[in-house]
Amino acid sequence: MELNSPWDGEQVRLRIVVVMMLAGLLFLGGSLWRVQVLHGSEHTERLDHQSIRRVRLPGLRGSITDRNGTLLASNRPSYCLAIYVEELRQPGRSGETIKEVERVIREIGEIIGLPAQVSRDDIRTHIRRRLPLPFLAWRDLSPESLARWAESCVSFPGVDIHIEPVREYPRGTLAAHVLGCVGRSSLSPEEKESYHFYLPDMRGQFGVERSFDTRLAGLAGGRLIRVDASGFKYNERFEREPRKGEDLRLALDAEIQALAESLLEGWRGSVVLLDARNGDVLAMASAPTYDPSKLRSQYASLSQDKSLPLFNRAIEGQYPPGSTFKPLVAIAALENGGVSASTLYDCPGYFEVGGVRFRCWRRSGHGSIAMRKSLEQSCNAYYCQIGLKCGYDRIYHMADALGFGHHTGIALEQEMPGLLPNDAWKRRVLKDGWRSGDTCNASIGQGAMLATPLQMALFAAALGNGGRVYTPRVVTEPWEEGDLIHEMSWSACTLATVRGGMFDVVEAETGTGRRARIAGVPMGGKTGTAEYGTREARRKYAWMIAFAPFDNPQYGAAIVLEDAMSGGRNAAPRMAKLMAGLFGSKPVFPDPEEAAAAAAAQEGATL
Amino acid sequence: MRDFIRQFGLLRYMNWATAFATLLLLIVGVMFVYSSCYISEVLPVRTLYKRQVMWALAGILCYIFFAVLDYRVLRRWSWTIYVGCLVLLLAVLLFGTVREGAQRWLTLFGFDIQPSEPMKLALTIMLARRLGLPGVYYGEWRRVGTVLLLLFIPVGMILKQPDLGTSMVFVPLTFIMMYAAGVPWRTLGVIALVALVAVGCVLGAVFLPEKLGFDPELHEKISAMSGLSDYQRSRIMVFFGVADDPLGVGWNKLQSEIAVGSGGMWGKGFRNGTQNILGFLPRKVAPNDFIYSVIAEEMGFMGSLGLFALFGMVFWGGMRAAMAARDKLGRLLCVGVVAMLFCHVFINIGMTVGLMPITGLPLPLLSYGGSFMLVVMSALGMVQSVHIRSRRVVY
Repeated sequence: MELNSPWDGEQVRLRIVVVMMLAGLLFLGGSLWRVQVLHGSEHTERLDHQSIRRVRLPGLRGSITDRNGTLLASNRPSYCLAIYVEELRQPGRSGETIKEVERVIREIGEIIGLPAQVSRDDIRTHIRRRLPLPFLAWRDLSPESLARWAESCVSFPGVDIHIEPVREYPRGTLAAHVLGCVGRSSLSPEEKESYHFYLPDMRGQFGVERSFDTRLAGLAGGRLIRVDASGFKYNERFEREPRKGEDLRLALDAEIQALAESLLEGWRGSVVLLDARNGDVLAMASAPTYDPSKLRSQYASLSQDKSLPLFNRAIEGQYPPGSTFKPLVAIAALENGGVSASTLYDCPGYFEVGGVRFRCWRRSGHGSIAMRKSLEQSCNAYYCQIGLKCGYDRIYHMADALGFGHHTGIALEQEMPGLLPNDAWKRRVLKDGWRSGDTCNASIGQGAMLATPLQMALFAAALGNGGRVYTPRVVTEPWEEGDLIHEMSWSACTLATVRGGMFDVVEAETGTGRRARIAGVPMGGKTGTAEYGTREARRKYAWMIAFAPFDNPQYGAAIVLEDAMSGGRNAAPRMAKLMAGLFGSKPVFPDPEEAAAAAAAQEGATL
Repeated sequence: MRDFIRQFGLLRYMNWATAFATLLLLIVGVMFVYSSCYISEVLPVRTLYKRQVMWALAGILCYIFFAVLDYRVLRRWSWTIYVGCLVLLLAVLLFGTVREGAQRWLTLFGFDIQPSEPMKLALTIMLARRLGLPGVYYGEWRRVGTVLLLLFIPVGMILKQPDLGTSMVFVPLTFIMMYAAGVPWRTLGVIALVALVAVGCVLGAVFLPEKLGFDPELHEKISAMSGLSDYQRSRIMVFFGVADDPLGVGWNKLQSEIAVGSGGMWGKGFRNGTQNILGFLPRKVAPNDFIYSVIAEEMGFMGSLGLFALFGMVFWGGMRAAMAARDKLGRLLCVGVVAMLFCHVFINIGMTVGLMPITGLPLPLLSYGGSFMLVVMSALGMVQSVHIRSRRVVY
């Protein structure tokens, strides 16, 4: 080129400048290749990480019905006013947005005539922690408020009705102890970690709601939300619909349950009715009771109540079984116990062993009586003697096989096992050996022995069905036959004698349980009156167990009443009403309490 | 004046390829200023692209004016322009508007101008004039000293604002121009060595006091003497990894890297840059200093290459003009303009990918901003003026 030009050196320098610049651009290009292409996916991930939020949407809880499909627990829509904070977003700092939300809440409050239910702190917390979710300013609006809102809703963009499911128990207190209730509960830590935001979830807290929680709760869905730098929703990326929980069909029959609960009105006690053929729990009542939909608001007062309304007496109540335990002693004595049905034992009105006198309820004594009569009359002296004759071991093993002293396996979590004492237990707890007096006490269902009403109902059902012990079922299963735990090998002869005695209890004119008799359907039963507390207080539990119909029993039932007079007087008439309701019959004897009340009323009227 | 109008005809000798690339860059700039702001809730910000169109049109007028104007006139005006810009810089220090801790703006006739921008061009013209004086041998230290003095006066004033990014441009600009003017390698080497040692000492004293065993009081003194403000120090510390602060100063660096990186090979498409839309890339800087992050996110690596090609054409056009220039003034003017633009492009893009510390330096022709737009377009107009009047043209 211009070899002799004075700019010669400079031309070279210019070329070097060009080359340096080209190198610079290449270097930049290389860096870009590294950032954009080689590490591109990494940066995309970081972008997603900082802008994508996962929201958990709980599944709708399944409903609970009785065996005939009557709704016992379901979800009711609760109308809430939700503010979508994104749409009220003000430019600038979040303080402006909070002010705007407050202004909107104040204006709506004037229109619907309700004071604000949320504070400024609630708004701030919501913006900070749950921004992409609707902010519920009012929950559970009344129809009037809703109507007032509907008239003026057009003037409020960003505010809308949000429907929230609320657990509802349409039959009120019915079967409250079996159903249990739900409460808001927080998620497990690992679930919390995988979601940025979550809507409150209902979790079962007692009863079936708790023990079948996973089946009822359904599957939570999720939503991916892309948010901007200040956390406001930009768009939705992905959604998985939550799945509704399974519906539960209880073994309970709502009508029978209502009847059973009506029997306990004004009393503390429990009624359990089982299907003797498969162990289905047809009714399980405990009094006093509560309304599960109000449990959360009334929890403090309910849990302080001396009458223990939250306590499910049917499975948590442990009572001395009293005379209702005698059929078991009778069977144990007859089966290889060296006692025959016709052996006579004398009852002078008491039985003395080791210096302790066990009174029979009839002071004058029953004289010499045999097995069948002893059941009908519930003679304590007779049972002390055969108990000693056959020995406690046989009684213990039979009671053990029948489920006394164990959890029955019912799918309710609060169940108590009761107590079946023996030598080992006594040595461990009372530091004393087993004596004849303990055997006598146990033979008449007293002493340390405790049983739950459910266990007694299972025993009644086993007496009715010939010795089959089932797991009691609260939820119906597709298969008809029950879960058999144990089948007793009682001889037909033994069974006939003891069942005959129990027939007499109800159907004989002198039977202790004759007030349980109903027209047309014979049944077998056994009353019991168990003393508790100090001897002077003379507080008694009144028991009655029964199975019916006598020949082909469908039902096994147990009733217990606290602070009653006696099984025959208080429990038997209720058993009559229960069975009359089941078979569409009516009691043969009038209820002595009602008769007394009617007499008192008449007296009052004549005076 | 008559002469000036007569010379319009010379425009046909313009380097049309360069002009075309410049125009394309302007259009891309308007597009992405729009893309970075259309989501904004604030009306003046949302319509920022319209103002960018106005500035681009004004820039084109400047371009044509300086292309037509004979660049040799600048020889006469160089001192006036230089001193004028110094006066403006002084005015900024005295009455300038303070925004975010920096006093950079001057309100004149209702316009906010940033005098450090025209100063870049004024220095280029001044250096072209000084270094282009015929018959001067620049091995003499006295001459070199004059040139360095011309550099240090404005750099000192701009550092005082403080505006580290802008002052950073002046140094390589001067260095490249001195090299192109023929200052001997040895002289340049000594200057570079002294500068590196000085900068190294200051950086070390300011940023690594613990490692050097300084007590805090002495550290405070040195920091104050270094003329760096707190936020500049923290920005530089984040860049060197001395401090890690992903929510404070490191935020822009991290977010621009995520934006550029997530663009990938082909980008997310025009107006679909999530980092910008979601506001992770701060809205305040997206249309100006970080416009490249928006472009890279939306157009990807291929878009970036396209951008490089356009800038490459502009630079190459400038260097061609320098090589063919009929005198040393034109040659150095072209080299200076190209060097200035190159420094801006390199530093700006370098900072969005984490090669350079975060400094408020715009990307020529693309970033939103009036003063710099007019300066760049005027400078490119001067390059065209040199090109038009290069040796093959007879007039």
